[in-house]
Amino acid sequence: MFKYKSSKESGGKSWVFQRITGIILVVFAIGHYILMHFHPENGKTYAAVLARMQYPWYRLIDIVFVTFALYHGLNGIYSIFRDYNLKQWTKITILTVIIVSGLAFIFWAYSIILSIPYIKQ
Amino acid sequence: MSSKIKTYNQKDWIKENLSYRKDSGSWAWILHRISGIALIAYVYMHIWSLSPLAQGEKAFNDKMELYSTAIFSVIEWLLFAFVLFHSLNGIRIVLVDWADGARYHKQLYLYTWIIGIIMFIAMGVIMFSHLL
Repeated sequence: MFKYKSSKESGGKSWVFQRITGIILVVFAIGHYILMHFHPENGKTYAAVLARMQYPWYRLIDIVFVTFALYHGLNGIYSIFRDYNLKQWTKITILTVIIVSGLAFIFWAYSIILSIPYIKQ
Repeated sequence: MSSKIKTYNQKDWIKENLSYRKDSGSWAWILHRISGIALIAYVYMHIWSLSPLAQGEKAFNDKMELYSTAIFSVIEWLLFAFVLFHSLNGIRIVLVDWADGARYHKQLYLYTWIIGIIMFIAMGVIMFSHLL
């Protein structure tokens, strides 16, 4: 019925969220790198991870970090496809793959973060 | 009246893209896109590679043997280059979209590279200074 792409799908909310999550991710990502690599206390050993995960705040920060990272990344991937005039079924297939794989990996990440035990003292 | 409009054959999009004269903004766009794809692929791999955390200390330490070697530290350092470019260019994009950045976008791109190289070397110092 409509010859041209409707402006109803302008992608305005995605555009704003890309930028907001991007700004927050810059802080998270660079902080994460410094935390992991600052010698001599190597942040990558199981002992260091366990010690960090004792604080619920660190778990919350990690959960927010992975959620924003996956949202920003997958929205970015979808925005690459937005440049092209895709047929409806192609768009639905790509969006399904993105959403399903995104949700799977987010819940996998949540289960890893939340499965680290609290040490009884 | 019919005017001949130059249409764009979507199937030849690579050739079409390569034929445009590249300016600094074009390079910024394509490098941002390439680094973005690399980073989302890395995030997926990162979640997968950290899954041994759920299985206890022994499983995790066994798997981390591979990731603790020196060559992996160098690869991680190179990954930081992708993170840096995408982050700093992203900040430049936000400045262009939401502040007065459009007037200075080329200078901002130059600052992106300068600040990026400085931070890349700084991270190299943080990561490898204990070897000296």
